[in-house]
Amino acid sequence: MSVGFIGAGQLAFALARGFTAAGVLAAHKITASSPDTDLPTVSGLRKMGVNFTVSNKDTVKSSDVLFLAVKPPIIPFILEELGPDIEPHHIVVSCAAGVTISSIEKKLSTFCATPKVIRCMTNTPVIVREGATVYATGTYADVEDGKLLEQLMASVGFCTEVEEDLIDAVTGLSGSGPAYAFTALDALADGGVKMGLPRRLAVRLGAQALLGAAKMLLESEQHPGQLKDNVCSPGGATIHALHFLESGGFRSLLINAVEASCIRTRELQHLADQEKISPAAIKKTLLDKVKLESPSLSLASTNKVSLFTNKNPSSKKN
Amino acid sequence: RAAMEAAELRVGFVGAGRMAAGLAQGLLRAGKVPASSILASAPSDKNLDAWRESGCRTTHCNLEVLQESTLVFLATKPHVLPGVLQEIRPAVGPHHIVVSMAAGVSLQTLQRLLPAGTRVLRLMPNLPCVVQAGAIVFARGSSAGDGEATLLKNLLTSCGLCEEVPESYINIHTGLSGSGVAYVYLFAEALAEGAVKMGMPGSLASRIAAQTLLGAAKMLLETGEHPAKLRGDVCTPGGTTIHALHQLEKGALRATVMSAVEAATSRARDMAKD
Repeated sequence: MSVGFIGAGQLAFALARGFTAAGVLAAHKITASSPDTDLPTVSGLRKMGVNFTVSNKDTVKSSDVLFLAVKPPIIPFILEELGPDIEPHHIVVSCAAGVTISSIEKKLSTFCATPKVIRCMTNTPVIVREGATVYATGTYADVEDGKLLEQLMASVGFCTEVEEDLIDAVTGLSGSGPAYAFTALDALADGGVKMGLPRRLAVRLGAQALLGAAKMLLESEQHPGQLKDNVCSPGGATIHALHFLESGGFRSLLINAVEASCIRTRELQHLADQEKISPAAIKKTLLDKVKLESPSLSLASTNKVSLFTNKNPSSKKN
Repeated sequence: RAAMEAAELRVGFVGAGRMAAGLAQGLLRAGKVPASSILASAPSDKNLDAWRESGCRTTHCNLEVLQESTLVFLATKPHVLPGVLQEIRPAVGPHHIVVSMAAGVSLQTLQRLLPAGTRVLRLMPNLPCVVQAGAIVFARGSSAGDGEATLLKNLLTSCGLCEEVPESYINIHTGLSGSGVAYVYLFAEALAEGAVKMGMPGSLASRIAAQTLLGAAKMLLETGEHPAKLRGDVCTPGGTTIHALHQLEKGALRATVMSAVEAATSRARDMAKD
């Protein structure tokens, strides 16, 4: 089986690294493409032994499973560009936050009657094989196609199938989650430093504390509230600290964060569906490069979907 | 020391206010002690009428309580207690078990003001003792033994929960459960007001609020599950409960409640020093 990544940024890098480290895929069976060769991840991918190309079409041709690992606003361009090369056997896996299966199937249906589409939400710790991934299968993706993806993603962490309408919530929780954790760890380390620890040690200990706690929770039948209680001796240090966390509304901040990320994901999807992506959201150079690869995109056509409302897609942006 | 037969027990109360009445009611309702075996003293008849109606004996003489009873509850207001102890001291003997309910008066103080070797215990109840759903903790003095502790526990489980604790927990019990009852009343009031805001009549809202608290507490006590687990069980994904809980978390309810318990406990400790 060969795997391709459209896009060679953080996500492609993380997944490629994870798959090769897990031994489910040899590096030379992986292809990644991007018009932008300056990305720091590009050299990382090359060093891994992944085939790197500037041609998205080449990636499609050499892959069975095709990951769309570009930012959500780019997805429509990619689908337009690659639609003609997508064949019924391809499994198209979109990792883009907020982009629905139906929007992808709709775009591809002009080129292929039965495109296999799977929507996936993963997170960066796939790079160390502790990812959290969910997926939902599209209309023409079989159970086996889903299982194939699940096997791949399970090699780099936890993976389970879900109903598509839960994926935005997953984005808010475990998609963005590592960022919340990094923020917490940075702050915890600050706390350690304030109380006299050297920075490196503080970071190391903070990270280990969170890792250990997460591991305990995953391996325990107990409720996190119970596990918390087990750490809090009466009148001791921990309960004093927890009181501060509660006073600061720690819990509600986390609830707010998950909610905000989920809502924003839905907003982005909504914007994408209405094809109201602002040009500023897409880097000019990237857009131009994509257009160079696909001459069909730069011509106004009544058959093609207008990517910007009220604007001629062929006009260059200033 | 042999544990006393409850039937032979003669129980006395020095002070006949609400808390004393609540404990006595608990003993009577549970059939632990016949009313004729209970003697209560108070300076005026104001509080004593209700005792007599229950069949208990009453007096205006504190010494008489000591002379007639073996288990004696000291249920006066704390500031009055030292004077009362001086008064009854001559009548206190080795056969007595003295149980003080006065907030903030330590075992050390009690033992200092009573004859050496007196079996003394200290008890902290809470208001719902009057409906036999109280929470009581007690601590033993240096001359009180297992027999006294067992006797007290057996008698008072008729009033609700009764546990022996180290003396240092008594102030915490005040913050948690003594004052805690007031926190619950506040919460019940607020729940009902929320319902009134949304259109429900007040009296119905109040009754439902109280039943909700009762039911939730009962489930906690009977299932023995962690409250966080029970809370999770009520929260359907994306449902009403989790939306409401988010509001509570935004208001830092947990921290506020912790602070309340802390404030009451600290105050109890401070008052004890006075």
